[in-house]
Amino acid sequence: MFHATLSSLWRRKRRVIGASTAVVIGVAFLVATLILGDSMRTGFDTFFADSNKGVDLFIRNGTKVTSDGYVQQGTLDGSVADAVASWPGVARVAASVEGTAQILDIDGRPIGGDGPPTLGGNWIDDTGVDGIGFNGYAIAEGRAPIADDEVVIDRGSAEIGKLHVGDRTTVLTPQPVEVTVVGIVTFGDGADASDNIGGASFTGFTFAAAQRYLLGEPDRISTVLVEAEPGVAPDALRASLAPVLPPASETLTAAERTAEENDAIGADFLDFFEAFLLAFAIVALLVATFSIHNTFSILVAQRTRESALLRALGASRGQVLAAVAIEALVIATVASAIGVGAGIGLAATLKALMDAAGFGLPAAIGLDVQTATVVTAMIVGVGVSLAACIAPAFKAARIAPLAALRDVNIDRSATSKVRAVVGLLITAGGIAAVFTATRTPHDALATAGLGALATMIGAVVLGPIVATLATAVLGAPVAALRGQAGTLARRNAMRNPRRSAGTASALMFGTAVVALFATFGASLKASFDELVDDSFAGDLVVARSGSTGAPLDQQMASALAELDAVAIASPIADAPVVLGGSDESAVSIVPATFARVADLDVTQGSLAALSTNGLAVSSTYADEHGWQIGTVVPIAFADGTAAEVTLEAIYETANIVGSVAINDALWDPHQGRSGDAAVLVALADGVSLRDGKAAIESVTARYGSPNVQDRQEFADENGQDVDEMLGLSYGLLGLAILIAILGIANTLSLSIHERTRELGLLRAVGQSRSQLRSTVRWESVILAVFGTIGGLTLGTFLGWGLVRAMSSQEGIGTFAAPTTTLAVILGLVMVAGVVAAIRPARRAAKLDILQAIATS
Amino acid sequence: MITTPPRTRVAATRAELATKIYGRGGTEVRALDQVSVAMPGGQFTAVMGPSGSGKSTLMHCLAGLDTLTSGHAYIGDTELGSLSDRELTRVRREQIGFIFQAYNLIPTLTAKENITLPMDLARRKYDRPWLDAVIDTVGLRDRLQHRPSELSGGQQQRVAVARALAGRPQVIFADEPTGNLDSRAGGEILQFMRSAVTDLGQTIVMVTHDPVAAAYADSVLFLADGNIVDHMSRPSATAVLDRMKAFGG
Repeated sequence: MFHATLSSLWRRKRRVIGASTAVVIGVAFLVATLILGDSMRTGFDTFFADSNKGVDLFIRNGTKVTSDGYVQQGTLDGSVADAVASWPGVARVAASVEGTAQILDIDGRPIGGDGPPTLGGNWIDDTGVDGIGFNGYAIAEGRAPIADDEVVIDRGSAEIGKLHVGDRTTVLTPQPVEVTVVGIVTFGDGADASDNIGGASFTGFTFAAAQRYLLGEPDRISTVLVEAEPGVAPDALRASLAPVLPPASETLTAAERTAEENDAIGADFLDFFEAFLLAFAIVALLVATFSIHNTFSILVAQRTRESALLRALGASRGQVLAAVAIEALVIATVASAIGVGAGIGLAATLKALMDAAGFGLPAAIGLDVQTATVVTAMIVGVGVSLAACIAPAFKAARIAPLAALRDVNIDRSATSKVRAVVGLLITAGGIAAVFTATRTPHDALATAGLGALATMIGAVVLGPIVATLATAVLGAPVAALRGQAGTLARRNAMRNPRRSAGTASALMFGTAVVALFATFGASLKASFDELVDDSFAGDLVVARSGSTGAPLDQQMASALAELDAVAIASPIADAPVVLGGSDESAVSIVPATFARVADLDVTQGSLAALSTNGLAVSSTYADEHGWQIGTVVPIAFADGTAAEVTLEAIYETANIVGSVAINDALWDPHQGRSGDAAVLVALADGVSLRDGKAAIESVTARYGSPNVQDRQEFADENGQDVDEMLGLSYGLLGLAILIAILGIANTLSLSIHERTRELGLLRAVGQSRSQLRSTVRWESVILAVFGTIGGLTLGTFLGWGLVRAMSSQEGIGTFAAPTTTLAVILGLVMVAGVVAAIRPARRAAKLDILQAIATS
Repeated sequence: MITTPPRTRVAATRAELATKIYGRGGTEVRALDQVSVAMPGGQFTAVMGPSGSGKSTLMHCLAGLDTLTSGHAYIGDTELGSLSDRELTRVRREQIGFIFQAYNLIPTLTAKENITLPMDLARRKYDRPWLDAVIDTVGLRDRLQHRPSELSGGQQQRVAVARALAGRPQVIFADEPTGNLDSRAGGEILQFMRSAVTDLGQTIVMVTHDPVAAAYADSVLFLADGNIVDHMSRPSATAVLDRMKAFGG
């Protein structure tokens, strides 16, 4: 049996290849995702371990507030370093000052700030007792900073910013500091040298300048770096150091510090990166499952006679089942193995692209292909294929021996009533759940998600039932426009509803996800627009560019307020605090001016009258915590101080400031050097937008020229991030669509193989080759459009449901249908349908008429 | 009224020194050996011969489905050998009608659509009165909207005959048209073909091995080993059977 299966596979290799392509692509994508994630993890691990080499202990303030990626860490008194230095067992210490410093390029524009961090610190110039210095950086060119206006910068930033040793430029800390670049540094030395740490820029000041600019307090430091005497274990030293350290401090070994840095990267970036790619790998694999299932169903149907003959000759059901199962297993294993190989290649390509794009992983770090990755991918690939083949295999086993004797119609797909009822029930349930989610705030997102899943499954179940009608309707214009070739294409698409639905559902699933994303994106952008319309009452916004660059210097808001053209310049700042025991990303506002440029739809109390120890929260937040006006809540800051705030205002629109707002007067003493996130500006009466903008830019030029946006630009900028994210998603989803399109090509090939005689007859009675190609092409387009329209409708509906659910749960979100995007997708898929038909059509047209119609 | 084309002495289709060789070297098979023959218009000609005699090859080459190794094949005055695939397709759809033994119809099209298929492919206007006459002749008026799967074997062949007649082709080629039918249904089909020639003035060339079928023709050509070996006018089934027995087959 096994041998028979293998040889039969070999004879039908062409069709088998079609079936396997979907598995190969899906598995390759999964493997590439896993490998890239592992490689980056290993890469960062090595990086941090290297950068911490030479340091045995890190002593720092134990208080820190983390929220939404913002970390604010307390500082230490400078005297701690001196006390530690004279302790027994300590070979050497260095005081380290760390902060944010964004370098401006030779033309005065900020470098980076949208991705990797912009690091600033004091330049620690040493080699250490064991020959390994505290400092992971090495001077490649120039010298260390001596004067307070001298800095060294990383080679990556120097290249991007066209800065050379001796150039004057500005560093935003966020206060603009005029400096001379006296040295260019690399991370690591010699052959291992890389431009910087994973794309993060670095500015090294003198110790005094770093304290002044990065911490704003002359006697404070961030971390004490300790090197133990040879033979002294770090853990033992840590224990013995305890008496000299201030109570709020914490001490980490190099390993702990590396792990912490890895976790930070993991939490913020790698986890997201991996989850993001994995989501697409899963979509691709799901689409692949549909494709394989369909191909296998057709293959089994085409072998009905063969299977029946086997049964008639005495093969048991189990043996027929085994024959199909073995075939599936062989295909799955071979395809998965090829997929793993292709995935490794894909990962290498992607890594090369990322390196070229300046993600800055060192070239020395190769691909990390783990056994677990290969095993996982093989299991997933084989599992998915087998799952997809189960139903066709059982169908093959159920074929009655008598079928061998009858002239069986190939793949008669009767559409059962059971299917109709079950499909309708699931779909109706799913749609009902989505509708419910849009109306009730309770667990709206979870309900909507489940509803979406059920609707999708229901649609797949209903597919064969609606296929005939749908392809008939969609094919009608084709038949009308393309004459007999069009009529035949339409009838061919209609003739086997189960096959048509199977082919289309892969595409439906893929395009539904695309439409979901597009709807989400369009709705997000619409929400931003609405936010600006409804809640921003000013004319211009000066905003920091990106989330990792330097914030805005606080002086800038004051300078703007003094301009004649400006009526109000109200700064807002990110204020990570511990509120009622949990880390919260609050926003600080200047109440008197803020209330005049922003309308948050305050329902209770007043923002304008917010006292120094006053708190304002969104109504959703207040409900969640059970707070009312007058509730007193403890608040704590990263510098270790604590206070109490009283809830004084509740608002509805959480968009500009998020869920929690506090008074700038309360925040300012604790803010360190965190600066402002944005300044909301209202122009004086009679000042035109253009004049106002010019006046503002004359001031902001001194602060690294942050973006000055009018209302539309402000809304658009938020939209741009959405567009970038969507662009990436579309690229990745394109893969799923590609798999689905390959599925169409494969189905067509199989159908054409079945219709050999029919095609021969058509050619004999006068169908030209181009008419025949046209028939195949239009059948492909009808199938593609069927799947796509189903997918786009479904995806848009589900997008609507999720957006509405978000709006009922979170109080944000306006629905917008991305009509243009949907139309473009439909157009692209039609073209893809034409492309998918090229090969099958060519093969059909090449048919030898005589062989096709030979009666013997 | 239906006007029948004048019966001419001009051949509807003919072959000149037609030679067809399959394979080469040791496995060479000479299916046709310098055959010259002309099928007169307005006549029903049967082509007979034992298996491997070349009768099917002759028909395929005359119908433009296969190409000759040497010699010429004509439909009317058109020499087929010099035509491109596109031109051959046009000749097939405009000047030739086909009736095969089985698989004659497109399963997705109705009987009516199958009948008009060649004209639809050519985007040609129907000759309504002629089409009606053809449909009535084969007695399919009440079956026009049925799919082939809803028709009996005999009815399917009648649709095929109607399709071949519908475009008023120069010549209709029939390849064992009754081979898959019982004798009653087969007799009906042959009667329709007969009246298509007698009453509608069509030209039919039919390949068959059935002497009863051949008896419906005006004349019979006998082929053996790639050569025309005999010719019989106004054949009867008995005479044809006797002649076939002479082949020793």
